[in-house]
Amino acid sequence: MNRVVKVARMQLINKWPFLGIPMVILVASTLMTFGIWALLPASAREGELYSGSGQAVMWYFLALGIQSLTYTFPFSQAMSVSRRSFYLGTLGLFAAIALGFSILYYLLGLVEKATGGWGFNGQVFALGWISQNNAAIQILFYFVAMVLLFMIGFWAATVYMRWKASGLLVAGIGFAVLVLGMVALATLNDAWPQVGAWFAAMQVLGLSIVLGMLCVLLAGGSYLTLRRATA
Amino acid sequence: MAPTSAPAIEVRNLTKTYRDANALDGVSLALEENRIYGLLGRNGAGKTTLMSILAGQGYPTGGQVLIHGRNPYENDSTLARICFIRESQRYPDDFSPHQAFKAAALFFANWDQELAERLIEDFNLPTRRRIKKLSRGQLSAVGVIIGMAARAEVTVFDEPYLGLDAVARQIFYDRLVEDYALHPRTIVLSSHLIDEIANLLEHVVVIDKGRILLDEDADTLRGSAVAVTGNQDKVASFIDGYRVLHRDSLGSLASVTIQARLGATQRAMAAEIGLELSPVPLQQLVVRTTMSAQAEPHGDHYQEALK
Repeated sequence: MNRVVKVARMQLINKWPFLGIPMVILVASTLMTFGIWALLPASAREGELYSGSGQAVMWYFLALGIQSLTYTFPFSQAMSVSRRSFYLGTLGLFAAIALGFSILYYLLGLVEKATGGWGFNGQVFALGWISQNNAAIQILFYFVAMVLLFMIGFWAATVYMRWKASGLLVAGIGFAVLVLGMVALATLNDAWPQVGAWFAAMQVLGLSIVLGMLCVLLAGGSYLTLRRATA
Repeated sequence: MAPTSAPAIEVRNLTKTYRDANALDGVSLALEENRIYGLLGRNGAGKTTLMSILAGQGYPTGGQVLIHGRNPYENDSTLARICFIRESQRYPDDFSPHQAFKAAALFFANWDQELAERLIEDFNLPTRRRIKKLSRGQLSAVGVIIGMAARAEVTVFDEPYLGLDAVARQIFYDRLVEDYALHPRTIVLSSHLIDEIANLLEHVVVIDKGRILLDEDADTLRGSAVAVTGNQDKVASFIDGYRVLHRDSLGSLASVTIQARLGATQRAMAAEIGLELSPVPLQQLVVRTTMSAQAEPHGDHYQEALK
């Protein structure tokens, strides 16, 4: 059996980090949302209710990205796994899990609509601006958002493993300088109206593509960083 | 012996430079397959750096490492033949020894579950407890069990005994020799406790400050020096002309370690004038070698002289 697949199986020897905990977070955060809605006074329940609790799992994936590298990479080295196999196996496994969760989100969105917003006229999964798109775009958007958060965690952990705190500091300052540079560019060219229009015009699909490109950048950066990292 | 295949481990002019120090400084070695090697040296001598580059976990600044003729770095098919558990090995958070062994069984083709279970029993290892809650000795046992049960063609142990009590260490040495006899492989063992593992070793490599001081067959090494004990004057006349490695004296009695391979005539002569000749423990030889190499800048001379 291929060592990449074995890495995925190794990551799943303990079922909690990749499967158990995300499920628990999803169920718990959703039930808590329902609980909060149920406690709202009647006056506050008029109209539509919105909840961001669907994000909870996504933020956990940020932590999972950090964890799957920090704890498992040094062990994978002892298992005589190349960095490349570790990288492909871990990212491949997460991609599969993210796809599963994205489809689940889409299906829960359908249930949400069918049950009149879980009986509260609420929105957790079928957030209006996303759910007005077709199934493929919705799933793509969730997938890209999850992978992006995972990759941020994974890359940051790789930078830390290779260059320790100074590496994170440089990366953080570099990112801030980049953002500042873009803000300066827009300001100096009086381009804010165009920037605003660009964002406004960007549909969920466009946003997914932009975020997806970020994912690819982070994935490439992670691999190059990991190539020379030592446990 | 015909060189039918590449050596199990070949190191060519290996250097590793960290920001502030040379961890390895032109190391060259050729280790044959199916022997037990001892990699000995002081703390910070470069043992772990060398081992982790051998295992493809670290990478050199210069030079080359070949395992059965191939560079192990990022090379899965070569890596699959190697097992190296670090002395400070980290395990996934919340993993139990049972889960770590399950992972090892996935990756090491020759994994022997029966041997693993026997060792678990020998070491009294609680396999369902989380690894981060284990004692230092139990943590070492996890690494030792993976290293032995993996039966990798090239097995590298870095100070495997840390925290293990005397009984557990003896179990490790005994099982290692037993299993090695049934399933020969190339084993590299780094250690401070030289006397404890002296009988295991077939070949000794001593490293100091990133350079190889000694690379010698263990038996040849054991015969390369002798301690001469007796009356001070008689000892002095007997050892004249030999290189002195160490000198102890008490009153008129002296005990001097010399570098010499004495023949039958010389031994008879020593007996005649009432001098006692005794073998020098491996540990003494390694310590003396290291110390005399530090006294003179070029360790190579000493190694040449030993031959």
